[in-house]
Amino acid sequence: MIELFQDTFRYRQLIWALALKELKIRYKRSVLGFLWALLNPMLLMLVLSVVFSTIMLAPIPHYAIFLLSVLLPWTFFAQSLSYAAESIVGNADLIKKVRVAKLVFPVAAVVSNMINFLLSMIPLVLIVLAMRHPFHWTWIFLPVPLLALTIFTLGATFFFAAANVYYRDVAHILQVLLNVLFYVTPIIYSIDFFPAKYRWLLKLNPIQYILNGFRLSVYYGLLPSAASVVACFVCAFAMLIVGFGIFKKHQDEFVFYV
Amino acid sequence: MSERIAGSAIVVENLVQRFRVIHERPDTVRELFSRFFRKEYNYHDFDAVHNVSFRVPKGQVLGIIGRNGSGKSTLLKIIAGVYRPTLGRVEVCGQVAPLIELGAGMHGELTGRENILLNGLMMGYSKKQMLEREQKIIEFAEIGDFIDVPVKQYSSGMYMRLAFSVATEIDPDILVIDEILAVGDAPFQDKCFDRLARFRESGKTILLVSHSLDQIEKVCDRCLVMDRGRLSFDGRPAEAIAVYKGEPLLTTAHELASSPA
Repeated sequence: MIELFQDTFRYRQLIWALALKELKIRYKRSVLGFLWALLNPMLLMLVLSVVFSTIMLAPIPHYAIFLLSVLLPWTFFAQSLSYAAESIVGNADLIKKVRVAKLVFPVAAVVSNMINFLLSMIPLVLIVLAMRHPFHWTWIFLPVPLLALTIFTLGATFFFAAANVYYRDVAHILQVLLNVLFYVTPIIYSIDFFPAKYRWLLKLNPIQYILNGFRLSVYYGLLPSAASVVACFVCAFAMLIVGFGIFKKHQDEFVFYV
Repeated sequence: MSERIAGSAIVVENLVQRFRVIHERPDTVRELFSRFFRKEYNYHDFDAVHNVSFRVPKGQVLGIIGRNGSGKSTLLKIIAGVYRPTLGRVEVCGQVAPLIELGAGMHGELTGRENILLNGLMMGYSKKQMLEREQKIIEFAEIGDFIDVPVKQYSSGMYMRLAFSVATEIDPDILVIDEILAVGDAPFQDKCFDRLARFRESGKTILLVSHSLDQIEKVCDRCLVMDRGRLSFDGRPAEAIAVYKGEPLLTTAHELASSPA
């Protein structure tokens, strides 16, 4: 674990350069470039709020804010994983020719998506202002769930980046898992919509605790309970220890399989 | 670094690099399962490098020759730290700049200029150090306006020019060159060899894999011949080339004595 922090610090400039490279490639040859990071959530909000407030008649006021407060961090999580799963395989050219700490690749994938996430918070602020939703003081609490989410995401990315080196199916399985997780996690709906009978299942879903912290702060203007914050960090660190442990154990072999 | 290797830039002892060659490796989970249940798993182990030992003193230019698949590149990759050897010991003293295959550590979507930075960062240099050297690297490579074009659009000669400029301009202690000089044109090759000569004068160590035997004879102090993963000769370049070509060596006194009259 100490190795993780040391290497991340040591290679910070490389990680940053790789993260910018990914963003550059993502938006290359698009006329609007980085603006897509801002436009995407706005367009998505438009579609979803039309669908849910006029067609499905969700009984949730300011549904766009309700949704985006969780959807944006979820997108950060899901995209980081999708990118990281390909990060070792996709950088095979570099790994095969230069000695380099392998962890820079998944970390760079998370950093590039973090930049994207932070950019996407700008439209959220604009939407909150435009809809005259109160700007709760609890916004200042956001770094806490964000930190937990980042740690959790890093752990998961290490695992999937390593696993995908050995079996390329992992990247596809990951998409299925993310899809399932998206619907079983209260993202587009509220926790109250979950049938009481199955609500215990929610308690097993670590990402739900973390995402709920975002919704409470932004939408409800509430703080999560201390117990749930502790639960978030326990899950996040457990994921990081397991994910990085597996990654570290196999990282010297990657070059033979990519 | 241990005292035993004082004066040595590279120490290689009993090195073995074993690859598991899996015949039709299961690439998907479906295949994995079907094999698991049928308990068939076809592979054989093969040593790309087998029990190789040598030392390279600081300041030496060491050539490595051998047929395709004899383990030259594997050896260089181990020394460059890309592979962790299966068995044996490698000690490398100083910063290694690897020029392994074309475009060592370059990303096709990035421009030449961006790749200079990426390449340097990957080798452990800081952004500041790379920016200081950027202009010199560009000047040496002589690729003009292409420096701001994504490298995937480069010709192999341009690729090589850039890679060589980066690797030599960062002033490493050990330069590892695998077969890349061949794609440069004659004037640039001359420029490269001038630079290698200056490198050697300043006490740097160079490892050079090449199929151009003239090059080897011209620039190397010493030459290894690799044959099916084993080190079959270690000595003067002219003799190494003779061994490689299968020509009889100039008989030495020792051999004269032991050979039947």
